[in-house]
Amino acid sequence: MCGISGIMYKNSRHQGLAPVGNDLVRMLDSLAHRGHDSTGYTIVGENNDGQLILRIWTGESEHPDVILARAQEAVEQVGCVVNSRQAWGGFLRLNLNYEGEIPELAEAILQTEGVVIHSIGEASEVIKDVGTASDMEPRHQVGSLKGTHGIGHVRMATESKVDITHSHPFWAYPFTDVTVVHNGQLTNYHKLKRHYEDVGGYRFLTDNDSELIAVYLADKLAQGDSLTDALRYSLEELDGTFTYLVSTKDGIGVAKDRWAAKPLVTMETDDVVAVASEEIALRSVFTDQELDRAEPQENEVLTWSV
Amino acid sequence: MVSLDAHSLSARELNQAIKKAALTGSQITILNPQARHNIAVGILDSCKIDIDGSVGYYAASLMDGPEVNIDGNAGWALGENLMSGKIVLTKDAGASVAASMRGGDIVVGGNAGARAGISMKGGTLLIGGNAGFLTGFMMQKGRIVVCGDVGDAVGDSMYEGVIYVGGDIGSLGADAKIIEPSETDLIELWGLLEQSGINDRPRFRKIVSQKKLYHFDNLERLEMSAV
Repeated sequence: MCGISGIMYKNSRHQGLAPVGNDLVRMLDSLAHRGHDSTGYTIVGENNDGQLILRIWTGESEHPDVILARAQEAVEQVGCVVNSRQAWGGFLRLNLNYEGEIPELAEAILQTEGVVIHSIGEASEVIKDVGTASDMEPRHQVGSLKGTHGIGHVRMATESKVDITHSHPFWAYPFTDVTVVHNGQLTNYHKLKRHYEDVGGYRFLTDNDSELIAVYLADKLAQGDSLTDALRYSLEELDGTFTYLVSTKDGIGVAKDRWAAKPLVTMETDDVVAVASEEIALRSVFTDQELDRAEPQENEVLTWSV
Repeated sequence: MVSLDAHSLSARELNQAIKKAALTGSQITILNPQARHNIAVGILDSCKIDIDGSVGYYAASLMDGPEVNIDGNAGWALGENLMSGKIVLTKDAGASVAASMRGGDIVVGGNAGARAGISMKGGTLLIGGNAGFLTGFMMQKGRIVVCGDVGDAVGDSMYEGVIYVGGDIGSLGADAKIIEPSETDLIELWGLLEQSGINDRPRFRKIVSQKKLYHFDNLERLEMSAV
């Protein structure tokens, strides 16, 4: 079992960024009973005037500051100009100007021993840690982040180990702004992973099955498929149980497997769309008694864009 | 008349308070359920419970006797293993509504998710709207009435019992078949709809088991050589 949620403010590109972080913290906190192992978010803000947001973590190192400094050096060596830097407890967030290719930047960072990339995005950033939403909030202050949309996840691990690296959301390396949260298990993970490694030349950063969904979708989008089509193809090509959410720079999407094995409810008004594993999460943000929610059924795909 | 505010009570405290009030046959109102799980579970005395809002998973489950009205939506497994009594939900139910119910009535005013009436062993499940994938999966007894459409694989591997569908049928499940309802069936159904305040009188189709899965029809290799 895991819990997922997402929210998008439809008019926020025109009307100003919305309290996406605060909403997701409340939603994930109300879903804590679906998974205590770890919690994670993707928050998508405005386009950053062409700057990139990089989020990395130093693993379990005893000297995180040294590793973070080396990582920053690596970033600067490939031509990045660091505009702002925030570091805390082994985590690092950099705002960068970068003219080069993303794979080159990502590879340079990964050459630094002990560094894990959580995300590279033009507008998106991934924040994840072990424990519940309440546990991680004092360290990361996700509640203060504004954005146009975002997704989140609480994890009860089934497929791979409990640590920050294997927490959701998973960023699709080496693309920008495609991240996924997933409730379920993929049974053809190893087969598809080999395919994407051998034929696609992709590299996976974890051995978690959900990372595959992010790479799968990013690959389809890179080939020119629409998000809706990419999600539809996944219903056929991914085997197992899944209800997953994907976040891109422009919106969010949902896909639910052929067995309708994992829950999801959706709520939509003129201004906002919210989705979550359970209605309890929608009600943690929207207190209206008359709240109208729908439950997507098997093989259903939904997308919304800002 | 007892009024309980779910907001200030844990699920266990709330259910203990309901049980206490139910002993005297009281009318119980539950306020602020906020779609939380396990509300009104394990109530074994006759009483009337009104829930003012949506409930989460397993609401009104493991129940024997009460009459429960829920003004809102329900999460997964509403009324699981109901023995007797009645549950009326005004809006939509999540997946597995009435799972393994053995008696009594469950009425869903809106739509139901996947696996409605899974492994039902008695009683009546009435759904005013549509029902999802695998409705009546492995049902063993009882009656499911869906006024709207059903998804794919309706009645898959059902042993006994009947499913009536007023709207479109996505597809039949393994070993299920459609037969014409009798006049008596329809009179009973219309009576049920009238009691439940449903005005439509759809042209119901009746789904029952072909009972071909009761016995293996393929012989093992060793058995074949013996024939």
